[in-house]
Amino acid sequence: METHPVDDILSRHLQVTGNLISVLHEVQSHYNYLPQDALYYLAKRTGIPITRLYSIATFYHFFSLKPKGRQQIHVCTGTACHVQGAQRVMDELERKLGIKAGETTPDLQFTINEVRCVGACSFAPVVVVGGETFGEVTSRKITDIIKRYSGDGLPAAAAKPTMVPTPPDAALIAAATRRAINVKVCMGLGGVAAGAADVLKLFGQTMAERGLEFTLGKKCVDQVGCMGFCAKDVIVEVTLDGATTAYQFVKPAMVQRIVDEHIIGGKAVEKWLAGPEYAQFHSKQHKVVLGACGTIDPEDIDAYCRIGGYQTARRALTGMTPEQVIEEMKASGLKGRGGAGFPTGMKWEFCRKAEGDRKILVCNADEGDPGAFMDRAIIEGDPHAVIEGMIIAAHAMGASEGYVYIRAEYPLAVERLRHAIRQARERGYLGKNILGSTLDFDLQVKLGAGAFVCGEETALIASLEDQIGEPKPKPPFPVNKGLWGLPTCINNVETWATVAKIIDKGAAWFASIGTEKSKGTKIFSLVGKINNTGLVEVPMGIPLREIIYDIGGGIPHGKKFKAVQTGGPSGGCIPAEHIDVPVDYENLTAVGSIMGSGGMVVMDEDTCMVDVAKYFVSFCMDESCGQCTPCREGTREMVRLLDEITTGRGTPEHLSALQELSAVTRDLSLCGLGKTSPNPVMSTLRYFRDEYEAHIYEKRCPAGVCKELIEFTINEAACNGCSMCARQCPQKSITGDKRKPHVIDQKSCIKCGICFDSCKFGAVRKA
Amino acid sequence: MTTITLNGETCEVADTLTVLEAARAAGVDIPSLCHHPGLGAYGACRVCVVEAEGPGLRKGLMASCTLPVSNGLTVRTDSPAVEQARRMVFELLVGRSPDAEPLRDMARRYGVESSRFGQSAVHDECVRCGLCVRACREKIGTAAISFAGRGQTRVVTTEFNAISELCIGCGACAAICPTGTVYVDDQRGERAIRRRELTVARFKLEPCLVCGTPLVTEKFLLRRMQALPEDCQPDVICLDCKRRRTATSAEMLEDLWPLAE
Repeated sequence: METHPVDDILSRHLQVTGNLISVLHEVQSHYNYLPQDALYYLAKRTGIPITRLYSIATFYHFFSLKPKGRQQIHVCTGTACHVQGAQRVMDELERKLGIKAGETTPDLQFTINEVRCVGACSFAPVVVVGGETFGEVTSRKITDIIKRYSGDGLPAAAAKPTMVPTPPDAALIAAATRRAINVKVCMGLGGVAAGAADVLKLFGQTMAERGLEFTLGKKCVDQVGCMGFCAKDVIVEVTLDGATTAYQFVKPAMVQRIVDEHIIGGKAVEKWLAGPEYAQFHSKQHKVVLGACGTIDPEDIDAYCRIGGYQTARRALTGMTPEQVIEEMKASGLKGRGGAGFPTGMKWEFCRKAEGDRKILVCNADEGDPGAFMDRAIIEGDPHAVIEGMIIAAHAMGASEGYVYIRAEYPLAVERLRHAIRQARERGYLGKNILGSTLDFDLQVKLGAGAFVCGEETALIASLEDQIGEPKPKPPFPVNKGLWGLPTCINNVETWATVAKIIDKGAAWFASIGTEKSKGTKIFSLVGKINNTGLVEVPMGIPLREIIYDIGGGIPHGKKFKAVQTGGPSGGCIPAEHIDVPVDYENLTAVGSIMGSGGMVVMDEDTCMVDVAKYFVSFCMDESCGQCTPCREGTREMVRLLDEITTGRGTPEHLSALQELSAVTRDLSLCGLGKTSPNPVMSTLRYFRDEYEAHIYEKRCPAGVCKELIEFTINEAACNGCSMCARQCPQKSITGDKRKPHVIDQKSCIKCGICFDSCKFGAVRKA
Repeated sequence: MTTITLNGETCEVADTLTVLEAARAAGVDIPSLCHHPGLGAYGACRVCVVEAEGPGLRKGLMASCTLPVSNGLTVRTDSPAVEQARRMVFELLVGRSPDAEPLRDMARRYGVESSRFGQSAVHDECVRCGLCVRACREKIGTAAISFAGRGQTRVVTTEFNAISELCIGCGACAAICPTGTVYVDDQRGERAIRRRELTVARFKLEPCLVCGTPLVTEKFLLRRMQALPEDCQPDVICLDCKRRRTATSAEMLEDLWPLAE
């Protein structure tokens, strides 16, 4: 008899308790959705009430009760994508496929999904289809994407790069084999999105063909994690006898020439080299946590061990008492990097002293803030650093089990982490009697299912306990009563990855970096309207200006800097007048924003701050669990008021109502998500009240963003009648004779802006 | 005992109480929708807001139903800040549920006649207090209804909005609902548990063994029988008949032992 697919899935789990979300993930991947029958069957087999399964299936956005298309088109609507025009991408896609976001085409070919940040912010706006990431998507690119995936399943294969027929001289190759050669290909998300997998494969192949796979007994080509400078991906670093040269925008077709001319011939291919901004980008940074990220192969535990990996854990486990470890952590002044900034050492001490023999560690890798992707980069680039940090902590707190709760939106990170845990277990770094000590500790990976609120620690615990992500009132705090009621220490990825560095080099060293109250370094993801998008690690207290201009290279196209949004949906907008603010916990709070998890979205004169506020509050409204009144009802009302303002229906009363709603939502929401959700409104009201007033009193959007308040017209003097705009216009609203000025019919215009983007002569005006 | 200051007066209260429980015990009025003495603290409706300050607790507005009492805690239930915040919460709830009369009555008592909010929401009478869901799951042990969706789409419902397989027709959900959104509809010997247009479940009612009045669902009866020891099984008998029987037996007693003068 054939077994039921659900039985197959259940047989792969030792128990359902604590694994229900994973089981549902597997059921969904088997059927492509969660069929009613399968859920009833699961309920019958496990004794879990069917209502609970239904409740979970409808709470988490990853689960669907309706069949999905063979091809899932994920449109990223994270912050960076939003300010770069994700809404227009979505509009265009919806128009072309004739369905709305969340719907499936009648032929079951496509489903459009809205996802809040895939962490590829440097390439905004981004669309992901079938594991392929498309960056800087335009309306023309959408046509190509749809065409590419319209077939039966597999996309049309990419064209193979043509090979240059003449291999270099044999003597040169022989000389090259005596050198120390190392090629590093950035396989962070940015790299992969830009095609690094092909580049990596081709480097391997070409080197093998030339007989250079290994020199001096070492593998020549390494995949490495995120190098940080995502704007120029694919980045490739070639090191010959210790001298490193970096290439940018490397495409598969360029690989052969780099190998032949540079690696074998000894002469770098000048025109493809990374420019001076590459050095500039790195010179002002202080890489503590990201030190190994982008230099070692994240899938090779030996690469980690060669740079001293797991030596710190060995020293801590064999030479330090738990109290000494905690004292060191306290003395370092490290504060939680997930956003709240609670002193890490103190949290550990609470957990160590909490009643109970069984203690649990949790790594919060539910990096939900749109516009932040440092946790993803750390796990993808240096997963063992997180594991080592947790081993040291397990020793300090006497914990026996640990969990990494990670977003399902990060498949590559999940894969690398699982791989790293397996390797660590094989080497005896996880399991029984770790490193010969008495410590037993093991780690498990747990997947999220698309709920931002699960980044909140009590909601995260609920999710680990197979519940919907409803937060709980504190106290009790997780360190006393957490997962399954046991003392639980939850820290964020970046915090865990910092632990081994502190124990290795000492608290005094760590505390010497940064400011009086904010110690150490912090990683920021620098995205939005900025030249050098990417991941940067800087000492606490660095002036914001240095991040934006010295590292970030300023604003593209000579536009004016308007604001930087820090801290994700819970954060605030810092205006140009505060650009010299030192970036640390205290000063960011003083200017009305927060450190948060480290997202930095730069905005220029073309960004409408009322629209930005609406974007963030809409995000919180969609992600609110709906349990408490202020968050559920308050965020919706704020969105409505902001929507009325941006569509020209605002009145002065809107501003006072916004202020009242902000106050009650901040003061009375149950958890951090609700409490901080009005921050973007409050900070933009504080610094950009004039923009609100322009929308309300003059019915004008100064940045030219709010559709209802702008009009597209053609400047007759500048229009040469090329008809490009008329051909691109989806509404056929533009008419005119060839080589004569064109006109836009305002009645049928839907203000999609395609004409504005397509005009090469600047003849289309937006006002 | 724990000493707190409640609206300026010092009170001695039991250590295990929440501020809401302590205040009510002291006769101080605090409204609430999602609190029930028989169920644990949930902290959803937030109309029980108070202003509190204490050792290790920064002064601010907070929900009293989830705030444990502690020595030195100072609580105000009537400050302008509390009243303003409470009005806002009621206004938000009324905006979403303008037809929920019990809610509107309560809101009126705290100064909210109408609401500026709710235009963009789908109106219904449910305040999402979760009492029905929690009573069914925690007290009845059934989980016939639960919350589905999240945020704006959060709603009390059955699996797939279908007729529940699990409901036993006890009516605890309806009894505990503060707005009458979930109700028991007994007609012509049949019972339906409803939430507006959704029918949670339908049952034939078993009759009173004495007078034949439709009384109780079979599933509920079975659950009671399983819960009770064998020599203590429930009578399937309505309240009127039970009273009559008690009265009759009292008369019989009097016949046996006539009261002395």
